Amino acid sequence: MLRRVPPLERDLVRLLGAPRVLSQPDALLAWECDGFTVHRSRPRAVVLPETTAEVQAVVRLLHAARVPFVPRGAGTCLSGGPTAGGETVVLDLARMRRVLQISTADLFAVVQPGVVNLDLTAAVRHLGLHYAPDPSSQSVCTIGGNLAENSGGPHCFKYGMTTDHVLGALVVLPDGELARLGGPAGTRPPHGLDLPGLFCGSEGTFGIATEITVRLCRDPQSVRTLLFPFAAMRDACRTVSDIVGAGVVPAALEILDQATIRAVEASVYRAGYPLEAKAVLLVELDGPTEVTAEEAAEVRAFAQQNGALRIEEATDAAERARLWKGRKGAFGAMGRLATDLYVLDGVVPRTRLEEALERITAIGARHGVVLNNVFHAGDGNLHPNISFDGRDPDATARTIAAGHEILRVCVELGGSITGEHGVGSEKLDHIGMMFTATDLAVMARVRAVFDRDGLCNPGKALPQRAACAEVAKWPQMVARVLGEPEAGR
Amino acid sequence: MTELAPRTPAELTELLRARPGRVRLVGGGSRQDRLPPRGAAVVVSLRGLDGIERLEPGDQTCTVGPGLPRAELDAALHPVGLELPCGGDGTLGGLFAHDPVGAMTAGGSSPRSLLLGLDGVLADGTPWKSGARVVKSVAGFDVHKLLVGSNGRLFAAVRLHLRLRPRPRAEAWFRLDGLDVGAAAERFLALRSLAVPPRELHLDRDARGCAIVGRFTGRATFVCERLRALALPEARPFAQLHLEPTPGGEVLAGIVLASQVAALLAAVPGRFLLRGDGRFELATADADATDAALLQLPRFGAEACIVRGAPARRGHGTPLDAGARRLLEGLRQALDPDGVFV
Repeated sequence: MLRRVPPLERDLVRLLGAPRVLSQPDALLAWECDGFTVHRSRPRAVVLPETTAEVQAVVRLLHAARVPFVPRGAGTCLSGGPTAGGETVVLDLARMRRVLQISTADLFAVVQPGVVNLDLTAAVRHLGLHYAPDPSSQSVCTIGGNLAENSGGPHCFKYGMTTDHVLGALVVLPDGELARLGGPAGTRPPHGLDLPGLFCGSEGTFGIATEITVRLCRDPQSVRTLLFPFAAMRDACRTVSDIVGAGVVPAALEILDQATIRAVEASVYRAGYPLEAKAVLLVELDGPTEVTAEEAAEVRAFAQQNGALRIEEATDAAERARLWKGRKGAFGAMGRLATDLYVLDGVVPRTRLEEALERITAIGARHGVVLNNVFHAGDGNLHPNISFDGRDPDATARTIAAGHEILRVCVELGGSITGEHGVGSEKLDHIGMMFTATDLAVMARVRAVFDRDGLCNPGKALPQRAACAEVAKWPQMVARVLGEPEAGR
Repeated sequence: MTELAPRTPAELTELLRARPGRVRLVGGGSRQDRLPPRGAAVVVSLRGLDGIERLEPGDQTCTVGPGLPRAELDAALHPVGLELPCGGDGTLGGLFAHDPVGAMTAGGSSPRSLLLGLDGVLADGTPWKSGARVVKSVAGFDVHKLLVGSNGRLFAAVRLHLRLRPRPRAEAWFRLDGLDVGAAAERFLALRSLAVPPRELHLDRDARGCAIVGRFTGRATFVCERLRALALPEARPFAQLHLEPTPGGEVLAGIVLASQVAALLAAVPGRFLLRGDGRFELATADADATDAALLQLPRFGAEACIVRGAPARRGHGTPLDAGARRLLEGLRQALDPDGVFV
């Protein structure tokens, strides 16, 4: 049967060719959500550009037609960041996957946004280099998505988040103009604002980065991976505090609770974690051989003092992979427990971890939800995960209510509603726990500098009322928002 | 010129709400001779906002006032085995707002990564905040990062939430003198590219030739082994972060890729001080030499602007990308639409 092609889709086909413009409802199914499956919405169309010029042409067309659009990487975001619905067109950047430049002298790479995180490391491994940020989804997530979300990962305790590794970006602004933010040498001092720092973590609302310059790191001389099971979560947390307090900076400090251990050990991600342990602590040290040897001895001593049930240390790469297998496969293992998994992401000060976990456990029990914890202990970045049946409205409601309370606990303890997953569409109702209406209005004002018309990933990162109001005249908006109850201060 | 010195964030808010005219924000005032004059009616010193409001050694974070001298924070951190791992002196607000130093080596902690969040006040007296007090947060846009390099022209910061790091257990300085440009650039590049590079690294060119100066930090065994393995002679600490202009001369501050340093130095004369993160200062003999250097720099992918010399020339430099310039002007307009902060 012949299908009428609307004028916009016809123009997109003219720009990119028919195979790279998808608009039939069945073809759009894969783009209806990201890793946050609670929010689903099918876009109007999906386009697959391959060059900066194509992105620019598409954005100019959409801007002229006042059609909203959403940039998207691999869709592994866990907060609904790239979910697009209604009239929105998705610019899927997966085909922009070329590594454009590698500099071994200056230790940087220039990549297109669709380059997969782990593929960048694979491309420079033979040079003794790697790209440090390592989100758990690094085998599929893209550098463009990492930039948009300011992604973290287990190794960001020592090496920092994506923002610490981004030197610059070529950006197609939401009106189709180009802007070069920073560059391989960084940002010009002292009369240059940190535009790459501002852009990173803007959740696809400031424009589309089509070339990203990232820092590369030399591989460490040695890596030591140790696993410590404990009979109590507090012992694992105290070991973390002791390690950090002694000035040791491990590459990673990860904890899994007993529920997670059992889920992992019952899955294909089985790593040999002891089922009787209430928590396991995974510690990775890297650096010069003599340094990691000293640090490993200190870490072992702290673990023993805190009652570690046993000590395991990887003796080769295969052993290391086994110890990490359970941690990296934890989310996958939890997928076996129920049809849906709500991966929460909150941060507390590291010294409040024990208290936070006790309160989270109580919340889970009160709402009758299946709750597992796996977290970046060094950063205080918690990932309470709730397994639930999304087809059951009551289970879904209890899951969301528990999640809301957990994030409130994080904020009450002086932390954040998100450490690395972003606000997206998931946490629009939570961001008011941290920021007042005025704070959000200032952020909306900054967003409007990049996207005056509010076309680029609308309805994400900031509550829509803040973004919409910003388009109106600022002073009136301030008066209005100041009249509302202040939150979060 | 009138100088006002609020002692609390509330006093600053009230002061700005009273619309005092064009305002220049200053900390300790140590960087004012590096900024262009902009005709302020009032100088507002943030030096009185100098408290350490919160220091959490276990979390390795703190909250301080912008007027706190760097030296006072260092003194408070020393007993608890922590440090703010970046260069720079004066007040902390000035350190971040002017970003004259920052990371001292490749991949080192930059102001961007150390500034976790801030409480600020807009030019009309509106208080707001961005970021968080914990070491990791991606909630909201990172508007606080606009403090870095803003020179006090976007907003006033009244509280800074900072990330701290453990103080290294040992350190050792080294110095290599009498190098020609090629040898110095090569050695600089090699040291900078180590898996664990020196915590500080400088290339210093003067009329006598080039020197490489640096500092390794870490465990004692590592620090000693590094100097021995790399045949680096131990030396006294090196504290020079900036160049002073000669009479009639000017100073440029900029960035350059390490691989381009040898070619740049061959093409551009003058005292030159380069840090491991690629930031440099170049002292020129006069305005003509400065203009000639500014024409040369883009050939080497370098950017710079004048920071010392005739006041009217400060801030001039290599051209900015048109799109970035549009954003910078838009941000200034968005956060301070009446141009109060000058």
